[in-house]
Amino acid sequence: MAYPYRHDKEVRVLSEGFGDPAARTVEGWKRYGGYQGIARALEIGRDATIDEVKNSGLRGRGGAGFPTGLKWSFMPKDSGRPHYMLCNADESEPGTFKDREIIRWTPHQLIEGCLVGSYAIGASHCYIYLRGEFFETTNVLARALEEAYEKGLVGRDIMGSGVDIDMTLHVGAGAYICGEETGLMNSLEGRRGEPRIKPPFPAAVGAFGMPSTINNVETLAATPHIVRHGAQWYRQWGTEKSPGTKLFCVSGHVNRPGNYELPLGFPMMELIEDICGGMRDGKALKAVIPGGSSVPIMSADDCRSCTLCYEGVEAAGSLLGCASVIVMDENTDIVKQVRRMAYFYAHESCGQCTPCREGTAWATRILRRIEDGLGTEDDLDTLIEISEQMTGTTICVLSDSLAMPIISSIEKFREDYLALIRRGERVGAA
Amino acid sequence: MSDVPFRNPGWAGNTGEFDLSEADVRGNAYAGERPLDGGHPSTSASYPFMLVARNPGAPLFEGPYQARFEKIRGRYPTARAALLPALNLAQEIRGHVSPETMDEVAALLGLSSAYVRGVATFYTMYNKRPVGRFLIQVCTNISCNLCGADEVLAAFLRHTDTELGDTSTDGNFTVVEAECLAACGFPTCVQINERYFEDVAAGDVPDILRRLTDELKGD
Repeated sequence: MAYPYRHDKEVRVLSEGFGDPAARTVEGWKRYGGYQGIARALEIGRDATIDEVKNSGLRGRGGAGFPTGLKWSFMPKDSGRPHYMLCNADESEPGTFKDREIIRWTPHQLIEGCLVGSYAIGASHCYIYLRGEFFETTNVLARALEEAYEKGLVGRDIMGSGVDIDMTLHVGAGAYICGEETGLMNSLEGRRGEPRIKPPFPAAVGAFGMPSTINNVETLAATPHIVRHGAQWYRQWGTEKSPGTKLFCVSGHVNRPGNYELPLGFPMMELIEDICGGMRDGKALKAVIPGGSSVPIMSADDCRSCTLCYEGVEAAGSLLGCASVIVMDENTDIVKQVRRMAYFYAHESCGQCTPCREGTAWATRILRRIEDGLGTEDDLDTLIEISEQMTGTTICVLSDSLAMPIISSIEKFREDYLALIRRGERVGAA
Repeated sequence: MSDVPFRNPGWAGNTGEFDLSEADVRGNAYAGERPLDGGHPSTSASYPFMLVARNPGAPLFEGPYQARFEKIRGRYPTARAALLPALNLAQEIRGHVSPETMDEVAALLGLSSAYVRGVATFYTMYNKRPVGRFLIQVCTNISCNLCGADEVLAAFLRHTDTELGDTSTDGNFTVVEAECLAACGFPTCVQINERYFEDVAAGDVPDILRRLTDELKGD
């Protein structure tokens, strides 16, 4: 089987060009229907473009799931100030690797998405914020952007429409928190990537103090398809509340990890057993994190009837997030993995808010102690208490993101913790 | 560069099941080719490109770098916004961003030294002290960790004979732990300078290090 892995049950909207190096050129991308979405947007006008995206029910793919069309409609009309479109390509949520695939295979898909978004919100400049580690990805996108400029698809008077849209790549320098929308704006402005207090919301005061909209790579990449084929076409997939298709990034203990584009509402067990070829070495499923490390952990039982859409995963006690499914088999040491996550959040905390700065580091120390066999049962209560104090008390949701896996893992895998505390034994350790 | 065929685990194709060439998957046709002048004014003239040859005492933003620096400044509505790309560029030239480099960049952009130091120390990709010719960043975050990243990290440390964060005595290798590199489906992911190495197992490590050492001989 060829990389990227393919499966018959996939629906290829965003991933159609994956695996075809020719799709990296303007000409190659046009064979996939490229640049017809922006052409139609320019034809039907701003308001109709926003309406089309609104009616499609597209929800933000960066994790929060906020309706994209609604977000665009918050932008002021005729404010007389420059508007900015920001594309969040600072992909760094553990478990997530979809944006990198979109950009390295189909850079023009993102460029076209940025054009549609910029046009809809009346922005004449779009900044694409890429994470600093993405050297190859940035290279591919830079080449594509140069070609798009040469062909008159980006820049002055795009496609002869009289609309100006400039696009700039901005490379970050390694900070998870810059994936938070206002942290990203601060970083773009040359400041520390510390999230800002909201309100004011970005649509009023965003990048460089101007009205701005920020969208994830996958969200923007989906918009040209929606504008080109219409909202109803997009709604043929997915559920009423979660229409469309989504790239699922599957990692961990499965036979075929990778990116799979599936309609939302797809059964989780079918994804693991069929699409990803089942568990590695025929082991049993222990736990799944369905949306990147920042969401509650699900036990194997929670997964049985879970469907992968925003409301389906919520009903199963977790969140879809950015659909990064991390699969763990029976030999997984949950305490170690939660400790590793806690270390990550402690490392990446920007340090503005006390509950996060102190809480993430404190939780890491306690988890490390439990892992070393020196914990007590009181430590679990302390962890829960810290986690509760880290929820909803800070500017951004970074500390909430650690609280969720800690609380859920203690609820669902208390035995793993207790075994380490009582006997110093690791559950599952081979 | 040596002619020895090298099974690069740096792309998701090392199991022999794939019918795309490495160049197709990795986009090598593009990578590493970045022209010194930085290409189109809108595209990034400031990739965090890590040259193997470094010169910590080199003048900042002279010669071809002057044009790139001017290009960066022209891309943003404020001078402050050029700070991150300018620091990237400084690191490309000098290999790390010392406090003195921060002060120089501050003067060039009309910002205060304290401000620039505050920003530069916020971001992990700025090396605050000199690193080896190859900076080896092993992802040990959850997805890679589930698939044996700890062993890969241990193998790199053992074969380079260094401690975490230290540089080997020959000045070639610095091994550090990295947070998620967004290649979770291809564990373990290791970033060496600007290159991603995917699907790395502990057994691949000697091969990778040998190849890197060979690259140095070719220079």
